[in-house]
Amino acid sequence: MKYRNLSIWRNIDKPLLIMYLLLSAIGYFIMYSSTFKGINIQTEFWSANYGKQLIWIIITLFAGLFILLLDGSFIKNTAYFTYGFILLLLILVLLTPPIKGARSWFYFTTFSIQPSEFIKLTLSLSLAKLLSDVGSRFQEFRTKLKAFFLIIIPALLIAVQPDPGTMLVFACFIFVLYREGLSGNFLLIGLFTVLIAVVGIFLKASNSIFHLAGNVISGNIFFVLILILGFIFSFLIIRYFVLPRYRKQKIQRLIIITLLGLSISGGINYVYDSVFSERHRTRFQIMFGIKEDRKGAGYNIYQALSAVGSGEGFGKGYLKGTLSNDKYKHVPEQNTDFIFCVLAEEWGFLGSFIFISLYLSTLIRMILIAERQRSKFTRIYGYCISGILFFHFMINIAMVIGLAPVIGIPLPFFSKGGSAILSFGLMVFILLRLDSERKVVLR
Amino acid sequence: MDPFKNRQWVVILIIISVGIIFSFRLFYIQVINKDWSDRASQITSKTENIQPPRGFIYDRNNQLLVGAETIYDIYIHPSIIKPKDSSAICKLFNLTNEDFQEIIKNASSGYNVPYKPSVFIESMTQQEHAKISPYLGQINAVFAKSKIDRGYPSQIAAHLLGYIRRIDENQFQNTKAQGDFFYTKNDFIGITGLEKQYELLLRGERGNINYLKDYAGNKIETINKKPPKPGKSLYTTLDIELQKLGEKLMANKIGSIVAIEPSSGEVLAMVSAPSYDPSSLTGRDFSDNFNGLKQNDSLKPLINRPVYNDKYRPGSIFKLVQALIALDDGVISTETGFSCNKNIIGCHNHEKPNNLTKAIKHSCNPYFFQVYKRLILKDNTKSVFQTSREGLAIWVQKIKSFGFGNLLGIDLPEEKSGFIPDVDFYDKWYGKKRWAFSTIYSNSIGEGEIGVSPIQMANLASIIANRGYYYTPHIIKRIADQNVLKKFKIKHSTCVDKKHFEVVVKAMNEVVNKGTGRNARIDSIEVCGKTGTVENKTFNDHSVFISFAPMNNPQIAIAVYVEYGTWGSKWAAPIASLMMESFIKGSLSKKSIEKANKISQAVILNPNTNFK
Repeated sequence: MKYRNLSIWRNIDKPLLIMYLLLSAIGYFIMYSSTFKGINIQTEFWSANYGKQLIWIIITLFAGLFILLLDGSFIKNTAYFTYGFILLLLILVLLTPPIKGARSWFYFTTFSIQPSEFIKLTLSLSLAKLLSDVGSRFQEFRTKLKAFFLIIIPALLIAVQPDPGTMLVFACFIFVLYREGLSGNFLLIGLFTVLIAVVGIFLKASNSIFHLAGNVISGNIFFVLILILGFIFSFLIIRYFVLPRYRKQKIQRLIIITLLGLSISGGINYVYDSVFSERHRTRFQIMFGIKEDRKGAGYNIYQALSAVGSGEGFGKGYLKGTLSNDKYKHVPEQNTDFIFCVLAEEWGFLGSFIFISLYLSTLIRMILIAERQRSKFTRIYGYCISGILFFHFMINIAMVIGLAPVIGIPLPFFSKGGSAILSFGLMVFILLRLDSERKVVLR
Repeated sequence: MDPFKNRQWVVILIIISVGIIFSFRLFYIQVINKDWSDRASQITSKTENIQPPRGFIYDRNNQLLVGAETIYDIYIHPSIIKPKDSSAICKLFNLTNEDFQEIIKNASSGYNVPYKPSVFIESMTQQEHAKISPYLGQINAVFAKSKIDRGYPSQIAAHLLGYIRRIDENQFQNTKAQGDFFYTKNDFIGITGLEKQYELLLRGERGNINYLKDYAGNKIETINKKPPKPGKSLYTTLDIELQKLGEKLMANKIGSIVAIEPSSGEVLAMVSAPSYDPSSLTGRDFSDNFNGLKQNDSLKPLINRPVYNDKYRPGSIFKLVQALIALDDGVISTETGFSCNKNIIGCHNHEKPNNLTKAIKHSCNPYFFQVYKRLILKDNTKSVFQTSREGLAIWVQKIKSFGFGNLLGIDLPEEKSGFIPDVDFYDKWYGKKRWAFSTIYSNSIGEGEIGVSPIQMANLASIIANRGYYYTPHIIKRIADQNVLKKFKIKHSTCVDKKHFEVVVKAMNEVVNKGTGRNARIDSIEVCGKTGTVENKTFNDHSVFISFAPMNNPQIAIAVYVEYGTWGSKWAAPIASLMMESFIKGSLSKKSIEKANKISQAVILNPNTNFK
């Protein structure tokens, strides 16, 4: 037993461990500041939000220690079981009464549990197990289909809650699949889709009109015309500059891409008019800066940007924020989704830049760890959690700094919430545990 | 080998590009663009004015006339109302459920937002608040905030003190246009009386506080604070007791009393009847009461008659001025006699006016017709029109030296000048050379076109008491620790030499002792006075009396004007007498108290007045 412990300590990836502990510590202090009501207000430490958060961090560290003592194969072998168990919880949670319009939490007297935070972990393990199993080859359609269902079922259950932020995170698995051999076209198509969608929504949201040969046409019809023109232009290029034997293939692709573009554009049109409510439309208009609605739908983002901007170069100092902490509460959800405001306000651009660098270094470190594995399971798992954390980070920060519409999603290691702290902590510790066995076994 | 190993770099590249994009964006909003920083300070910091307490007003013996009263605004905070609170609130404030819903709606719409408390009952008095305050503590969503309003401990001198009111849009813009940025739209400003006259002193200097607020606007941390400077206190020349007595005597009547200390020009009392309780123009009931006083009362109780009503004809008291000017001009001597020829101008039966004293004592109209004729028609060599013009011009000049026809300059904004008809006036009225003495002779006995305000009548009494000069009547003795204004220390002399006054003073004494003013006698004090009866075609004549006492060391000069008081000695003389007795002796005798009560109860109103 003693030997084994020592071997874990020797083989554990210390940079990642330190980065994790550092992020957790910074996250806790920022969270403390966000919940700080001023020294004059006496609250029982352990009953305050920052007290509860500390309890969860301690629980996470103990759970992490426990995981380090587990055997890697045990983690792998129980993957489907834990996945199934959390999936069951995801179904059960839909039977609870909704809180703030969503059925996401199991409420207990002093704390609550959010199963959707844990499904990301168990899904990562199951996906890794599925793709690394001997005999399953990713090139096979069956495997792809299995992986697809593994991902899509919890995603749909979360969509029902509804929790669009968490659902969006499931898109991160496209990176994992890409690394495992999914055609790069999917990434490109994804990028293409996002581009078309952004342009399409922008044209709808801004109600743009264009003048063409004396006719007034709406923005999205103009966009369709552009797409068709692009198609004709590309077709002519292929027709005259591509060698005949490649022509057929290129033209096929061109047709697919054009049709895709047109259908996405049409789809956006339909979704924007018929599926979105006025509230969503307003959010997009605010994001594109078409509409300013300081008091209504744009309130959160206006306040958040003011808080971030007021941090200026070097910040106002720890606990000295005047917008985003609990004393002032100008920024709503300042200890959950908008917690980055606290950091940006109190530590300024310098702090924000260090934070971004540290965060992304941690993610890159995870990729590098994944890449050095002989075990396919660990590699896939490493990509999974790096992707999950990356998506959380990207969506959350983009929202706070006004690059994306407001989507409720926590910032891992920072946002208040026990389930998130525990599940993200476990993700890292499991990676550390699996990585420490990299020389021992070949799975 | 893993064919896709290089794909890790694609993923890492994506991660790094997101980091770069975010860093640039943050650099832009935090470092380059200062807009967000400015917006942040707009969100967090707030500068609020601190209202200075308005200055108090005291009487001549440092008794409080206008002070402060604590009143309460009741606030409601819709977002923290618990279900059980609503019935408690309804019960406490006697509201129906619909009222309550309405209140919640108002408190959540327009300028109000549900997460901030807003006022729903304004200006509750202390008594009202005392009744509900024990229950307020049990309801978190409702609370009271105290503020200071004007308070009137003795409820007198409403006209003179004036009232304050929330500044209206017009005044607000006007003050701004004049470079005065003191007021906010919620501030009060003096509208009439001393409150208006000394507004700049009474209002004080505003302080301000700059603080950090939370999302609901609550004050969290003070950044800096400049305390307000309270308004300066005014010490008036009024005598509370005398003013009270005057208001009591003028109850149920229309008219004025003005009492002046001749040696200084200090106004001791200034009564305008009908009057009102000054505290009715404060607080929540202001507009109801104001409308009641302004629109629904034909007696116009808001007018400060002693200074504002300058259309009063002075009647016989004007004979004193005629006598003085005539003596000074040398057109008569003290022994000049005329016959009481009632064919020229009406008169009553009295002994033959074979000298000036007798003429004044009996207020002989034909005598003063003759006096005025000599004043106007001096030069027999010219045409009667020309002589009249020249005579009138000189006469007007002399009359004006008694303070008539001009603003005296009392420190009240409502003062009007009165009117002495002059050459231009008659030229316009009748045409040049179309008028002569025979057209204007009614001036001789204070009738005709002459208009005089009660303050000017009191000033005349003061002039005679001083034997030829006056100080501008004024109401402010002291402002905080600064003594009376310089302009009130200037001695104004009349055109008439001092020596001519003695005979008029003697005659006035005779008026009170043996003549038309016997109702004004006071035991052991030598009173001088002159009655006046001003013709009124619609109803009873007006009753006028001017007076001063004691004769040889005058402490008080007074003018009383009682509209429809039939004749001078009936109401005005006894009222003046009681006022003087009270002031000189410090109290009224038992007999006088009875008399005062009787006068106070007498109702003298014009039945022709259209009562709404």
